[in-house]
Amino acid sequence: MRELESIISAYELATANNLQCTLATVVHVEGSSYRKAGARMLVDENGVMTGAISGGCLEGDALNKALHALHQNQNKLITYDTSDEHDAIIGAQLGCNGIIQVLFEPIDQNKNGNPIALLKKLVDSKTKKVVVTMFNLNKRLEQKGTQLIFDQNLMTTQQLADHGLLTQIRTDAEKVLKYEFPHFGEYIKAGSKQHAFLELYTPPPTLVLVGAGNDAQVLSNMAAILGWDIIVTDGRHTHADANRFMSSCQVIVTRPDQFLRNVNIDDRTVFVLISHNYNYDLAVLKLLLDFPEIPYIGILGPKKKFHRMLDDLGTEGIELSADQLKKIHSPVGLNLGAETPAEIALSILSEIQAVLSNTNGQPLKDKDGAIHEKKHYQFKVTSL
Amino acid sequence: MNAKQIYLDYNATTSTDQRVLEVMLPYFTEVYGNASSVNHTYGWDAEEAVTIAREHIAELVNVKPTEITFTSGATEAINIALMGYCKANQHRGNHMITCVTEHKAVLDTCEHLEQLGFKVTYLPVDPSGKIQLESLKSAITERTILATFMYANNETGVIHPMKEISEITSSHDVVLMTDATQALGKIPVNLKEIGVDIATFSSHKIYGPKGVGALYLSGHLKGDVLPILFGGGQERGLRPGTLNVPGIVGMGTACEIISTDLTGDSLRLKALQTILENELLTIEGLAINGANSPRIPNTTNFSIEGVDGSRLVRTLKNLAISQGSACTSSVLQPSHVLKSMGMSDDLALSSLRISTGRFTLEEEITEAVLEIKKAVELLKVTA
Repeated sequence: MRELESIISAYELATANNLQCTLATVVHVEGSSYRKAGARMLVDENGVMTGAISGGCLEGDALNKALHALHQNQNKLITYDTSDEHDAIIGAQLGCNGIIQVLFEPIDQNKNGNPIALLKKLVDSKTKKVVVTMFNLNKRLEQKGTQLIFDQNLMTTQQLADHGLLTQIRTDAEKVLKYEFPHFGEYIKAGSKQHAFLELYTPPPTLVLVGAGNDAQVLSNMAAILGWDIIVTDGRHTHADANRFMSSCQVIVTRPDQFLRNVNIDDRTVFVLISHNYNYDLAVLKLLLDFPEIPYIGILGPKKKFHRMLDDLGTEGIELSADQLKKIHSPVGLNLGAETPAEIALSILSEIQAVLSNTNGQPLKDKDGAIHEKKHYQFKVTSL
Repeated sequence: MNAKQIYLDYNATTSTDQRVLEVMLPYFTEVYGNASSVNHTYGWDAEEAVTIAREHIAELVNVKPTEITFTSGATEAINIALMGYCKANQHRGNHMITCVTEHKAVLDTCEHLEQLGFKVTYLPVDPSGKIQLESLKSAITERTILATFMYANNETGVIHPMKEISEITSSHDVVLMTDATQALGKIPVNLKEIGVDIATFSSHKIYGPKGVGALYLSGHLKGDVLPILFGGGQERGLRPGTLNVPGIVGMGTACEIISTDLTGDSLRLKALQTILENELLTIEGLAINGANSPRIPNTTNFSIEGVDGSRLVRTLKNLAISQGSACTSSVLQPSHVLKSMGMSDDLALSSLRISTGRFTLEEEITEAVLEIKKAVELLKVTA
């Protein structure tokens, strides 16, 4: 389950027990930190925490700040400065070197469009969205909090009192959708400042496993931990048995040419052909070639098998384009020395993660510069 | 003695601004939690108030809140900084540099460090109260670990050229400290721009309550200052002891008020100073001490040839003014500041300090000038 989903279920459980909650959101990070802007944590009035805003060094103090915000029933912005590493609160000295701004929002469950209600809209959606959290680096001023969600057409069901600000934020949200980077805005109007964190929400990828053998079982279990949506298909009733897979998986028993009708394919839908049946894999691959939006097709088996597939497709008069060849990964997975089904699953999921995030899967120690790109975290100033 | 004296001794202390007092009051009776109590709202409220106060101070002097430590006053801040830094760095060297016109809080701490084996160079000043930058350069040795110069002098108001000093010290890898007690609130104090590593402040000189001060330690000095007091670990262990929350809130609010209109306040004080000094200079034998140096806009220190300062102060029954600084004047000795500027004991003893502030009115200055003129006439006749 992904962090947002666990936060929403924790909130639902808490409200069912008449417990008040505060949502903590990392809204900006300058320098390095374990969690980036967008990390969230829910704290209920008994101090039960779900999600995380750091690697553990801030949670203790954040718990008190969350309860304090709840007590005062007021949004609060708190700065954690680990850049000198001598802050007594942090103390743990994890080697982080950043200034982390955390917004605390007590949740009013009777209010439509409260932060949790907005987040729920996000996770229920299967498309990209932009979430706008408004805050003010001047802590004495009002901290507006989680305010808006824009869909891919830049429509929003929420409103801001300041229309000029809304228009500007919409323009920035468009960039967030286009370039897939978060945006940190500082909006200046009549000398006063308003800050906003525009976060890109991407729905979890859908992993389609073609083949429901034991290795697919392991693979789907691991993907479930990542919070991905999983569809398993196989022509064999004995394998494609819902009882063999986690309840969250969608299991389809059908012929290859039919199952695609049940799958909603977009640029977050990835396929792994793992049926151990050459003809079944080939039949599916042939069908998938018609969907240019699919970003990843992994095929289990040696290179020889893939070459045979290409030859067989060739005799049918199907020549693969460069784009098609690029997204087909066979043999599937990263070179991790994987042997067991679980190890192979790890190698496959790592490769998919790298492809979906447009990175190359190299060890971070070989990467130049910071783990997270710095330039995207500076405030862009706009005068209204 | 029923009439209230005109208060012209703002460098000794200021009244607590009514606005500051009002913000402070709830922290005595309602929000009385211990800022270190992490388990309840009383503690959280107090801690939040301290955080906000720390931000106000940090903002005023352009540093980060994490670089500010609250103390009981500037004297304690100076002691923590000098003792704590020298103790932690004695392996690097045992030499420090300061100036003869420093406040006793610095001079007496230096004297104590000398007893502990440190060597201190006291730079002289010229008759206008200035140090020679060349003499600072030549005083620096390989054993020099720290230099400390007050931002503005409490007696004469003379401002040291901190930016130029900082260029010299930083190029020699010497840590620079400044006691900014008298500069804060009177002129812009931008620590990051100047490049100072350590600075000290007092609340009661800026319309906050007595008993609070602050120490700025640049982030890069992490671990470079050892505590001199031990206890509950408050203020990152550097200044243990339960935080004086009402006082800290007061100091923070005082800084917030200054931030709103420092330029306006400075200009108003400068205008009063000009009026005052133009009038005073019509008195025969009167000289403004430090007149040829840059000075803070509220301080006028003057000597009158042939007039006994103590008698003059006693004659000026309607004026609250000082002979020298408040700290040293309980035992009447000629000011070490004025003597180091080359004045004789007699002339130093004939000097008075007028320091104005936020609540000084122009008519009070006019009245003070008249009083002084009258008194001088009287004393000259009876002398």
